Amino acid sequence: MGNVPSDKSEDNPALGRPLVWFVNPKNSKTIVGVLIAICVLLFLADFTYHKHGHFAIEDYKGFYGFYGFVMFTALILTAKLLRFFIQRPEDYYGDSTIDDEEYPPEQLEKAEHGDV
Amino acid sequence: MAMFDILPTAFIFFAGAIIVAFLPSGRIRSAISLLIPILAGWQVYNLPAGEFAQIELFGQTLDMMRVDKLSRVFALIFCLAAFLGNLYAWHVRDTVQQLAALFYAGSALGAVFAGDLVTLFFYWEGTAIASVFLIWARGTEAAYQTGLRYLIIQITSGVILLAGTALIWRETGSIAFEQMTLRSIGTWLIFLSFGMKCAFPFLHNWLQDSYPAATVTGTVILSAFTTKLAVYALARGFAGTEMLIYIGAIMTLFPIFFAEIENDLRRVLAYSLNNQLGFMVVGIGIGTEMALNGTASHAFAHILYKALLFMSVGAVLFRTGTSKASELGGLCRTMPRTAILCLIGAASISAFPLFSGFVTKSLIIDASAEKHYTIIWAILVFASAGVLSHSGIKIPYFTFFGHDSGLRPKEAPINMQLAMGFTAFLCIFIGVYPEPLYALLPYEVEFHPYTTGHVVGQLQLLCFALLAFAFLMKTGIHPPEVRAINLDTDWIYRKFLPNTIAILYKGFTSLWENAANIVKTGLRQILNLLHKIHGPEAGVSSVRPTGAMALWIAVLLAFSLIISYN
Repeated sequence: MGNVPSDKSEDNPALGRPLVWFVNPKNSKTIVGVLIAICVLLFLADFTYHKHGHFAIEDYKGFYGFYGFVMFTALILTAKLLRFFIQRPEDYYGDSTIDDEEYPPEQLEKAEHGDV
Repeated sequence: MAMFDILPTAFIFFAGAIIVAFLPSGRIRSAISLLIPILAGWQVYNLPAGEFAQIELFGQTLDMMRVDKLSRVFALIFCLAAFLGNLYAWHVRDTVQQLAALFYAGSALGAVFAGDLVTLFFYWEGTAIASVFLIWARGTEAAYQTGLRYLIIQITSGVILLAGTALIWRETGSIAFEQMTLRSIGTWLIFLSFGMKCAFPFLHNWLQDSYPAATVTGTVILSAFTTKLAVYALARGFAGTEMLIYIGAIMTLFPIFFAEIENDLRRVLAYSLNNQLGFMVVGIGIGTEMALNGTASHAFAHILYKALLFMSVGAVLFRTGTSKASELGGLCRTMPRTAILCLIGAASISAFPLFSGFVTKSLIIDASAEKHYTIIWAILVFASAGVLSHSGIKIPYFTFFGHDSGLRPKEAPINMQLAMGFTAFLCIFIGVYPEPLYALLPYEVEFHPYTTGHVVGQLQLLCFALLAFAFLMKTGIHPPEVRAINLDTDWIYRKFLPNTIAILYKGFTSLWENAANIVKTGLRQILNLLHKIHGPEAGVSSVRPTGAMALWIAVLLAFSLIISYN
């Protein structure tokens, strides 16, 4: 990638500057911390109302949270395993496949930020 | 042929396309392309229910405008999608794409209003033929070949539809497009035809193969019509067919694994589209009023947020030349508006409360729970977490956040921003205030999405899944984005069949060559023998000139044999 431009660049659009906070690795702990706090609150929220789902399992406190966490993890692990079987190089189907070609540049308007 | 009492909506698009063709390329043409869907939408919105524009042909009635609540809600969203797609494509100065978009949208509308199977067939093929030009317009050899594969499958679907129609006509004497049951070969064929266009499992791969091959703007337009037309057709013809519940559940399930490991983000979105169709198909299979309302409303909401996601990835492709996750990252710095609009699309498809997916998908999931399809319900809830993983997280995270790719592209052009902004507004509007959409649905809606249980349950599901994502990223378990492709069923017709044919071809040619060799050497031996006996040196040919002649003829014969068998 060579020289990665500085994030402090005043040239970035005004709306982009606050978003940089989210990609700064220093803040990832804060982001995860807030996420954990939200999850705890959502779990506690289950104690504040009477649950009456269609299935008995829905009435367990924190069922949806548990299901979401476990199934998401299972999904990623299974997909990772799947990759082992079905992943192939980009030119697997030969030269003239869209995965192995450049998008025709004349149909694009490639431009760097700051270009007029 | 009587004059139409109402101009079929499709004809507004076709007439508009003809006008556009004669206008010089430029702003006026783009403006007319925007005006056509507005006009058509206005017509659809004000149409009374009933059957119009009927033509008598060979003793059969072709019913070109069947207007009821089901066809109207699909027609309205098609007009809206055509408007948004054309706004996104405002800058395009390619006549082929502009005409294709109008003919494609018009055909889709014609099919939605078709009251008989023959009319349906014509428009069904119309969508196939018009839409392939959005792929071919990319102009590369790869796009040409992908387009051919797409066209063959789409046309085949239409041919099967026609065959089914013929059988049904012979059996019942009617070509009316009504509710069907899977009792005859004719209805099975029609079911199969709809299933191909709806990307049923094992019939699905044309979708992931072709949509990433289209142009930047073409993919946005493609994403709206073909598959949702199939959803409409299934809802019209096969509501309450139990098999659809299981087909739909599989559709929600398997694409989420493929989407997770796919590198091309436009193909990720194609898998995601397939998964969303699954929810709609489950709704059709359940077939209760609530479930069908769910299908119609989910199709409506889905067309918008799916278009929004394709638009945002398209804008990135437009500015950087790539839509591969492995090459992108950190674009929020210089494309913040596109990033935020993409996040709105991501939140909508993930069904966060206050976004459109929440108020439509929960209709389908609740309908499955109400009928006590336990496993189906569990699959749908799991698939909802899966949607979050590829469309909610992967698309925005690996494009606009995540690691810094070093790319600093310019913000999307203003027309793209407007199209995305308007679409994002609708996603939020539907999520916050679903009543106007509910009022358009085929049946009375008695459903309140914003109960404490719904909101807390959904937020728990999504936030804990997000937490799992953070955990998997931190620990490095989450698979990285790499430049590669993944095999899917297209392997059968892109690799297995061509290879098999090549092997068979090779086998037959070598067999043929061997046989020819045997004949050739045999002949040569005979000639040599003849030469020995009758040749100039041989005793038999005592007269020289005749001997020389015979020799030369033999030489010529041998020469021509060698040439013809080599």
